[in-house]
Amino acid sequence: MIEFKNVNKWFGKLHVLNNINLKIPKGEVLVICGPSGSGKSTLIRCINRLEKIQNGEIIVNNTPVHDKLTNLTKLRAEIGFVFQQFHLYPHMTVLQNVMLAPVNVKKIAKAEAKKIAMEKLEQVGLTEKHGVHPAQLSGGQQQRVAIARGLAMSPEIMLFDEPTSALDPEMIGEVLDVMVNLVSEGMTMCVVTHEMGFARKVANRVLFMDEGAIVETGTPNEFFDNPKTDRAATFISMILTH
Amino acid sequence: MLVDFNFRIIFEYLPLFLTGLRSTFFISLVSISLALVTGVIACACRISGIKILKYPAIAFIEIIRSTPLLVQIYFLYFGLPTLGLRVPEIQTGIIALMLNSGAYIAEIIRAGITSVDQGQLEAGTASGLNYIQRMRFIILPQALGVTVPPLLGQSIVLVKDSALLSLISVMELTRCGQTMTSERFMPAEAFFTVAFFYMCIYFCLKALADWSQRKLIFREAY
Ligand SMILES: Nc1ncnc2c1ncn2[C@@H]1O[C@H](COP(=O)(O)OP(=O)(O)O)[C@@H](O)[C@H]1O
Ligand SMILES: [Mg+2]
Repeated sequence: MIEFKNVNKWFGKLHVLNNINLKIPKGEVLVICGPSGSGKSTLIRCINRLEKIQNGEIIVNNTPVHDKLTNLTKLRAEIGFVFQQFHLYPHMTVLQNVMLAPVNVKKIAKAEAKKIAMEKLEQVGLTEKHGVHPAQLSGGQQQRVAIARGLAMSPEIMLFDEPTSALDPEMIGEVLDVMVNLVSEGMTMCVVTHEMGFARKVANRVLFMDEGAIVETGTPNEFFDNPKTDRAATFISMILTH
Repeated sequence: MLVDFNFRIIFEYLPLFLTGLRSTFFISLVSISLALVTGVIACACRISGIKILKYPAIAFIEIIRSTPLLVQIYFLYFGLPTLGLRVPEIQTGIIALMLNSGAYIAEIIRAGITSVDQGQLEAGTASGLNYIQRMRFIILPQALGVTVPPLLGQSIVLVKDSALLSLISVMELTRCGQTMTSERFMPAEAFFTVAFFYMCIYFCLKALADWSQRKLIFREAY
């Protein structure tokens, strides 16, 4: 479903993605972890072309993402993206946040889009908040709205960039619960996170990055219990003591 | 001092002052409208990222902001005729005010646009919204809230700046004060009246600015 072939990317002199090869089949839940600055965000941002790559190829659903002729709107409509900082639109209500893209990108009629949006809000447990503005919600609730906003486009893939890192500890659980639910629906997911519990519970595979390269991959239990490389072992001990 | 103040002469000259007021009002209204158009275009060029639009826009904005308005007025007043363009004083004045306020307005609008969190734009991009949709649904509604109050502030500045047009003999409010002074030699009365009318305009615009600020900030909080 998603494939990276010899992908390289530089920010100026910084080699931020170093020869990435990766296949993510349909329905897989992939957790990406690694130290800060290792290129995790950049990696998933390339999947919907929020970042450009300098060479190699990324293919999503048989579409070459970084080809000039690719219909970006259509591609992006199929991929939901959840940011660390939520990035909700503060001047719109929760419902308007969720409806904006379905109405304007997919051109779904308002009544229909509203129905879909309410379903997605129900899925994240926030139906009764549909009329309020994001500022009136807690961080955890805002992130759940952001997830509903992504789901409202009925994407085939959901990308998460540290969805719980900006949250107070007591709110992390509610967001992870929503994500676990998504897994049970068979959604293909790439999740950048250091939440080991989440990874062990639902991830098919953990991918460890350092300095722009994929250093190690394995099942969650393999990776967390018996890391193959020293770098991964050091990293795991760091998130454990944290 | 007030004992010596000659109110009768003010009433005698009132018709003149009212035409001056009308002229100031007209000049300001036309100039600010044109300045708004200039500002939007200059700002659009500046943030376009297209080099042949961006650099001229930056040059324009910086030249205006680094030189006194009076110098700009004189430059146009004496400069346009040497280019073979015979433009009446009042038009020259309006062009000067338009260019001057336009440059400041370009920066006000740019500040409004850049005040919107970049992350929201990325969220819009990621969900498939195109550039125009992101502008329309995400940036403009939020930028407007922070742009309208300083735009009204710039309008107040422009009204007061229009007094400089008296120096190229445009018959506006300040020029009327000068006329009365030269005819009757009563500068205190003349400029007291002139100041009074400027204050009237100022308080009207300020009330509008305060009202819009309350209205817009109120909207943002919800
Ligand atoms: N837009 C950018 N311009 C220049 N350097 C960047 C940019 N975005 C990220 N970087 C750099 O690229 C490296 C990888 O960043 P990132 O992918 O955000 O890492 P991670 O998400 O793993 O913390 C970091 O060193 C970061 O400073
Ligand atoms: Mg990151």
